Amino acid sequence: MILENLMTAIGAVLELKTLFFMLIGVTAGLMAGAIPGFTIAMAIVLTLPFTFGMPSEQGLATMLAVFVGGLSGGLMSGMLTGIPGTPSSVATTFDGFPMARKGKPGLALGIGVWSSFFGGILSAILLVTLAPQLARMGLEFGPWDYFALVMFALTITASLAGENMLKGLIAGALGLLAATIGEDDINGVARLHFGSEELKQGFAFLPVLIGLFAFSQLLSDVRDPEKARGALMKGRTEAVRIEHLRAIKEVLSRGLNVVRSSLIGLFVGILPGAGSSISNILAYDQAKKASKTPEKFGTGVADGIVASESANNATAGGALIMMMALGIPGDIVTAIMLGALLIHDVIPSPTFIGDEPVLAYAIFFAFFLAHFMMIGMQAVCLRIFVRVTKVPMYTLAAVILGYCAIGVFSLHNVEFDIWTMFWFGILGYTMRVLKFPLAPMILGVVLGNIAELNLSRALAISDDLTLFLTRPWSLFFITVGLFSAVFPWYQKLIGTKKWTLVFMPVLSIAVSLPLFMMNGFVRPGIGGGLLLLGCYQLWKRNRDGWELSAPSEHLYKE
Amino acid sequence: MTRVNRDSYVAVFLLAFCGIFFSATFFVKDMGYESMGSEVWPQLILVVLFVLTLAYLFQALRQGPDEAPAQEDSGFKGWLHRYRNALWCYALFFVFLVTLPWMGMLLGGVLFVFLALTVLGNRTPRDHAVHAAIAVGTMSGMWAIFTFGLKVFLPAGEILPMMY
Repeated sequence: MILENLMTAIGAVLELKTLFFMLIGVTAGLMAGAIPGFTIAMAIVLTLPFTFGMPSEQGLATMLAVFVGGLSGGLMSGMLTGIPGTPSSVATTFDGFPMARKGKPGLALGIGVWSSFFGGILSAILLVTLAPQLARMGLEFGPWDYFALVMFALTITASLAGENMLKGLIAGALGLLAATIGEDDINGVARLHFGSEELKQGFAFLPVLIGLFAFSQLLSDVRDPEKARGALMKGRTEAVRIEHLRAIKEVLSRGLNVVRSSLIGLFVGILPGAGSSISNILAYDQAKKASKTPEKFGTGVADGIVASESANNATAGGALIMMMALGIPGDIVTAIMLGALLIHDVIPSPTFIGDEPVLAYAIFFAFFLAHFMMIGMQAVCLRIFVRVTKVPMYTLAAVILGYCAIGVFSLHNVEFDIWTMFWFGILGYTMRVLKFPLAPMILGVVLGNIAELNLSRALAISDDLTLFLTRPWSLFFITVGLFSAVFPWYQKLIGTKKWTLVFMPVLSIAVSLPLFMMNGFVRPGIGGGLLLLGCYQLWKRNRDGWELSAPSEHLYKE
Repeated sequence: MTRVNRDSYVAVFLLAFCGIFFSATFFVKDMGYESMGSEVWPQLILVVLFVLTLAYLFQALRQGPDEAPAQEDSGFKGWLHRYRNALWCYALFFVFLVTLPWMGMLLGGVLFVFLALTVLGNRTPRDHAVHAAIAVGTMSGMWAIFTFGLKVFLPAGEILPMMY
């Protein structure tokens, strides 16, 4: 049965039409990733309208191709100009640009491309093996646990806004509120419509997202008239020949770095809200710490490029694991993909892989295949990239605004959707100006209905609210959510305040409690380990007299 | 000395917003049979939003006033100047939307892109010609893909159908 489903999925992805769309998707992703100011999320948002009419497998394969292309595209501009194309390739420029300037741009690009490839393939393998396991674990979730998971996802996303955490939480609440407008999914009652017939239907998810994210981003890019009229990149950019064979040797000789960075990327991807913009810096930092010559980092060493690029591509696999196994998007990109799945009437949940095996295997295979296409298209895109950098930003912005209107209208064939995009575009732009992070709001819009549905189910089963604290998974998510809310302050004050000394040990001990409450031996075993670790850390700090030590300078400089 | 800054105004606006939306939740129909009424979830969110906004207001007031902007950036004129590109784009998009039923997606889209390019870009006769070519080429190309390729019925408007 599994083999039959797998073959059907591979057959669907290997259809000529799907392969053609995937090739276009990878190319578009590589270009979007390479252009500073353009993000992968925006590229996927703009791809969405084209996939409405496609079968689910084809549409998702195309979007995955854009995703994989985008993750690898950022390295082109980062290495050739020193300006990272996307936040996910920031750390790539630390060593990629110096290496290119030393006269080895072909090798630098090659190492970046092949590290992306190996990182992606490793995470694809783990996606195939871990997603069904995590989904099986997800079957243990009751509505209390799901509700707590959504709250945890929102809290952790807001906490990633750092010092703006309060703004992040407000943005998340605004997203949840936006999702409540119109008819509710449970009772079918129209809410908060203020007498408007259009609002009674509520907002379609994608126009909200395109408005909040793409529309507002484009207008931010053209805010400065001088910059808007200038070419996308200043200075001369030349296409170079990628040294594939030498690069493969360089990457394979750093196998441990590839595996470690890919695992970091995968873990960050699994965390809701944390994406490749974080994983590439974390992996770079770990590679530097593990290196025998850390002082050479930043001067053009291959290890720096390998770490960053393996990690950012592996993050995609982690985010997909979370989306496919639990229906919770790992980052903005998977939030958009979740929206795309909903358009195709597919609702990711722990039963998703079992209920929709062909689609699930098609996603696995397309993610795998897209990495091979990315390698093939990189050289072609390098030439296009050199030409595209000469186009002024305002030209792209004006044309894409026009495309957005057509794309959004094609969703339901109603003009109200374009109006929705327009109003949320204004809101998104205002939020950017006022320094409110958009990611929590987007996650709030996506997860709002899931949270309400599960809260309602939980209350229908029992009005006992203590179940949120007595069920292990719910308690686990609430505990981690609370600690993640305090994390920005911990990060800021580490080494200066005494309470930061107990933060990590107390977190370990607190998390061990719900793990002890879980069935089986493995999770209580992990709980025991965490408890011992927490106690050991407390004992060690007590032995050292609760002395504050300066944090790793490098990490915070990054 | 005034302690009010931009964040304080935003917080006050959000508090008023919470009030308006909370009052709107009292008009949500009660079906009488549900375990959790349709108004409960929005009310819960609004209470959380209200508490977070109060904390935000408190934080904003503690921060003190914003730094004074440079002379040419201050006042309403300065604000208009600073955000003129975005404001132009929104205004043009608004006009495009209002006129969509008459102009249709093709004509309206081409005009919108042309005007946006003209407003944002340089304004020499050569640039106008380039902008016109870009607007016609890109929008009609995309219109054709959606109309003929993806079989989407984009708004035809009233002007173009009169011509054929």
